Amino acid sequence: MRSIRPVLGLLLGTIVLLGGTAARPADAQAPKRGGTLRVAYGNEILGMDFYTTPGYEMVWVATNVGCGLVSITPDGKFFPDAAESWQISSDGLLYTFKLRKNVLFHDGSKVDAAAVKFTFDYVLDPANRANMRQFLGAVHSVEVVDPHTVQIRLKQPYAFMMHVLAVYRMGMIIISPVVTQKYTPEERRAGKPEALVGCGPFKLVEWVKGNHLVMDRFDKYFEQGVPYLDRVVIRTIKDPVTQLAAFKAGEIDFIADFSADHVDSLRAQNPRVQIMTGKETTPMVAMMKVTVPADGKPMSKDRAPHAIFNDIRVRKAVGCYGIDRKEIVKIAYKGQATPWVGIIPPGTMDTVDVNHLCPYDPARAKALLAAAGYGPQKPLVFELMTNTEKSVFNVIATVIKEQMARIGVTANIRLVDKPSWMTTATQDGAFDMYIEDLASLLTVDQNSYLSASAAAWNHSRHVDTKVDDYYARYAREMDPVKRKAIARELQEYSADKLYWNTISGSPFYQVAQPWMKDYVYQAEFKVQYRKVWLDK
Amino acid sequence: MRTYILRRLLQIVPTILMITLVVFVMMRSIPGDPVVALLGDAYNEEDAIKVRAEYGLDKPVLVQYGIWLGKLVQGDWGTSILSGRPVLKDVMIRLPVTLELIVLSMAVALAIAIPAAIIGALRQNTWADYSATSVAMIGVSIPEFFAGVLLLLIFSVGLRGTLPSSGWVYLPGTCPMIVCTGSLWGNMMHVLMPAVALGIGRAALLTRLLRASMLEVIRTEYVTTARAKGLSERPVVLKHALKNALIPTITVMGLQVGFLIGGAIVVETLFAMPGLGTFGIDAIIARDYQQVQGFALITAVAFVVINLLVDLTYTFLDPRIRYA
Repeated sequence: MRSIRPVLGLLLGTIVLLGGTAARPADAQAPKRGGTLRVAYGNEILGMDFYTTPGYEMVWVATNVGCGLVSITPDGKFFPDAAESWQISSDGLLYTFKLRKNVLFHDGSKVDAAAVKFTFDYVLDPANRANMRQFLGAVHSVEVVDPHTVQIRLKQPYAFMMHVLAVYRMGMIIISPVVTQKYTPEERRAGKPEALVGCGPFKLVEWVKGNHLVMDRFDKYFEQGVPYLDRVVIRTIKDPVTQLAAFKAGEIDFIADFSADHVDSLRAQNPRVQIMTGKETTPMVAMMKVTVPADGKPMSKDRAPHAIFNDIRVRKAVGCYGIDRKEIVKIAYKGQATPWVGIIPPGTMDTVDVNHLCPYDPARAKALLAAAGYGPQKPLVFELMTNTEKSVFNVIATVIKEQMARIGVTANIRLVDKPSWMTTATQDGAFDMYIEDLASLLTVDQNSYLSASAAAWNHSRHVDTKVDDYYARYAREMDPVKRKAIARELQEYSADKLYWNTISGSPFYQVAQPWMKDYVYQAEFKVQYRKVWLDK
Repeated sequence: MRTYILRRLLQIVPTILMITLVVFVMMRSIPGDPVVALLGDAYNEEDAIKVRAEYGLDKPVLVQYGIWLGKLVQGDWGTSILSGRPVLKDVMIRLPVTLELIVLSMAVALAIAIPAAIIGALRQNTWADYSATSVAMIGVSIPEFFAGVLLLLIFSVGLRGTLPSSGWVYLPGTCPMIVCTGSLWGNMMHVLMPAVALGIGRAALLTRLLRASMLEVIRTEYVTTARAKGLSERPVVLKHALKNALIPTITVMGLQVGFLIGGAIVVETLFAMPGLGTFGIDAIIARDYQQVQGFALITAVAFVVINLLVDLTYTFLDPRIRYA
């Protein structure tokens, strides 16, 4: 066995994904203790059960209430959380974690190896429907060595095990066996504070849906001296105009997800405001459906070709050469995004620029359409689904409609609400193309849960197992250089097949008042207030 | 009178049943599945089937409605599919916010409409009348969200923080949460802009309606008689004319409650208020069926009860009206 830390860089490669602007001031000041941080979210927290509630909003709470074995810095370095050290066996199959001895749950009980094992067993039990379970397919078993040592044994090497523990979704947040067995999943989901006992820097005081979420400093947090804040109060302000007004009036200290539309005006009106962003880790896609259920039953394994987009010539004509990504970014994002073709967004680890594989070329698009049998006599008409969640989707859909007209194709826009889109896309409903920005991706591996042929979120419903092979090889390859080569192959293959049609990156912004100090931007992946303090 | 009230209360039952049934069927007819939202990125068909069975969503719609109704008569409004929170508890937390907003927006409307209508009627076809009518037209033409945004930009951004842009402060002693500060001043500061944004449109409508009624009433014989008896103009207008002219206005005010609830959805969203409006719209967007039913139920009850109270008000305004 060897310690992971000396070889971390070698093992994991250089992570460049989170090149965001940290909010740390140039002239470092001594942190001040106390105060209440007032936070605004743009979307409602849907529930509070760490392991079953969807949405980033809950994750951004969970990572403050809970603690894990390890965590991750913006530049991809792992650092101890409840574990003080760890070792990975030379064959990459055995992970041994030594726990700190002073880590307590908020009810005063100790965080020990049994609690860690309980957490893994709980997540791996299909009956609990934990959303982290999908990431633990490589785990064979978890064993308690002694009260402060726990071992995770894998079935096969998995290069991203540490990422899973630290940051996939919210990371493996350790749950209290006593509390988890005492309370029901409904009580956890409803945000009952006694049912949500974590070991993080803040303890949950109250969540009243639609009103506020309050977290107070946990005075027995294992890291001495932090957190500095007495309290964090989170409110949901959906309307961007109201969000902006509340921020300008000083009613809010921090907006966790700020509308890209208002960044320029905020910057112009308040030069001291901290506007944080980084290379995009979320893809904006124009997803084309490739197969449909042959027997008419949604999600059927018996697949038939989609009437339009199963033909690679049509996919490439429409999705590759027919879409001017630069024009879309210029109109929809005022140039504040990266035009992108690859399946992996520009800010994600091991991403590759494959834009040259899909240059905007209307003449070539027309030629391909003609070869596929489309032309003035038989014009191609398809439906372009977009949803009301973000106005930018509709702008992009409108620009694509115009670009399609230039190559003689009619795109009929169908506007639906978010649940309708989600149901249609996820349950194998009828659509030709949709516009949406999908999940934020830290690694290429994460995208396998959205785009491998057997993935529930494989919305194009492609059946190409070669994609799965790429993901499997990538996940098992422990050499970062070889892994990067596989990632390149996958992204070139994907751009060639267009099972996943990226348009651009989808920018993400957070804004903070000048007096909010030492917040570290980590895109959607982590929103942590552990070391934040207020200078006022 | 008692018989009348009892009969009206009994009439509420089929009305509520019809409204909740229609909402129930409509919600299940529109695309979107709460189970997809509940499972999120962990969605798979196998779990989705289990979850549907757990929540009874795999049963025929009318059976589901019957189950919901059966629980309702036992006082169980169900729990939110997404948050797991009891619907009744959330409704009760949010109801006071919306009630206060609606009552105060109606007060704003009346505070504008009554003087404007009296001036317009008494000085018919003068600049004062034209001004009142024009203002009424402008008020009708400004949607709540536009009025709200204007107020927001003027009082929260322009006059930096004069009025809070969003959120809510409860009245002293009414706070339903653990972490809460009740304050009359804070409450007034928070409700003022939303109430004005919601009340302006109603004010315009009521002004026009009341002006027309006043014009009719001030020409009636009993008003002429009152003047002939030597009463001064003030009691003639306020006691004799206005009281009678208010009857059609009160009827419309009752019906306006429905529009106010609709307007509350917009205004509460804009001002990020934790009321029933945002509760309802969030529930509909998330396809949280139990919450939608709770929202439909409480708004239907509120609408019917308020209209009953309106009917009972007639006897106060016009003692000749008697209910048997």
